[in-house]
Amino acid sequence: MNAVREGDGGPAFSVGPLTRTDFVRYAGASGDFNPIHHDEPFAKSAGLPSVMAHGMLSAGILASFVTQWFGAGCVRRYKVRFRERVWPGDVLSAEGRVVHVRGDGDQRRAELELVLKRQDGVAVVSGIAEVTLQ
Amino acid sequence: MSGSDGCEWEFPVEWSKARDFARAVHDGAWDDRNPVPSPTFPAYITSDFVERLVVDDLNLDLKRTLHGEQEYEYLRPLRIGARLRCRARIVEDYVKEGRRGGKMRFVVCETEMCDAETGEVILRERSTSIETAPGEGKVA
Repeated sequence: MNAVREGDGGPAFSVGPLTRTDFVRYAGASGDFNPIHHDEPFAKSAGLPSVMAHGMLSAGILASFVTQWFGAGCVRRYKVRFRERVWPGDVLSAEGRVVHVRGDGDQRRAELELVLKRQDGVAVVSGIAEVTLQ
Repeated sequence: MSGSDGCEWEFPVEWSKARDFARAVHDGAWDDRNPVPSPTFPAYITSDFVERLVVDDLNLDLKRTLHGEQEYEYLRPLRIGARLRCRARIVEDYVKEGRRGGKMRFVVCETEMCDAETGEVILRERSTSIETAPGEGKVA
């Protein structure tokens, strides 16, 4: 990780096509049982075409891109903004860039800019992270 | 959930639950021999509190409530087997005019998770929910 430099990009990372089963698995794993993510009649009554993914499923997938890049337990800060909804059938791809590296030895840190895009190129989640480099 | 007022509770970080979560978010860095919870795993730890807050206490309409932002700040590593003492509070609750007219309500909830034995802060979670104006539920 000493080789990490500003401007570096991350590994190729994509997930999907997402299924309703992915949403249900995340509901069970996260304890978020808002019916808009698994109950089709409820989602339609809210004016949606179908159930939609939990924002935090997308946020979790984008965080998995970071752990694939820098390793489990590397994250010190992670902040995301939810921009667009994610539907069954969507394929999500993560992109990242090192914007700043600072510190020495055990205190070495990298700041990242992150974005998760749908197959049509639209950003669904954007964010920043700070990771340890060891 | 235990605790005196429902905004404070203890929570054990369990291997099997952290593993299920890692699988659900496609966290390929999970290793059964050296397990580390995924960065957003604390969302599970706050899920009961958030559900009760949103549905019962704030009475937000789930059909037009969106997740705006989420943030984690780790001061120390979160380890399997840790027993956490969690304290959650609403830090902001305000109404703003939406772009297309109508009022949008923003609620920001912050949860601090400490080691129950040492009292050291391990992490903070900050979550922003947005209730859109009636008829404006299609905002992403």
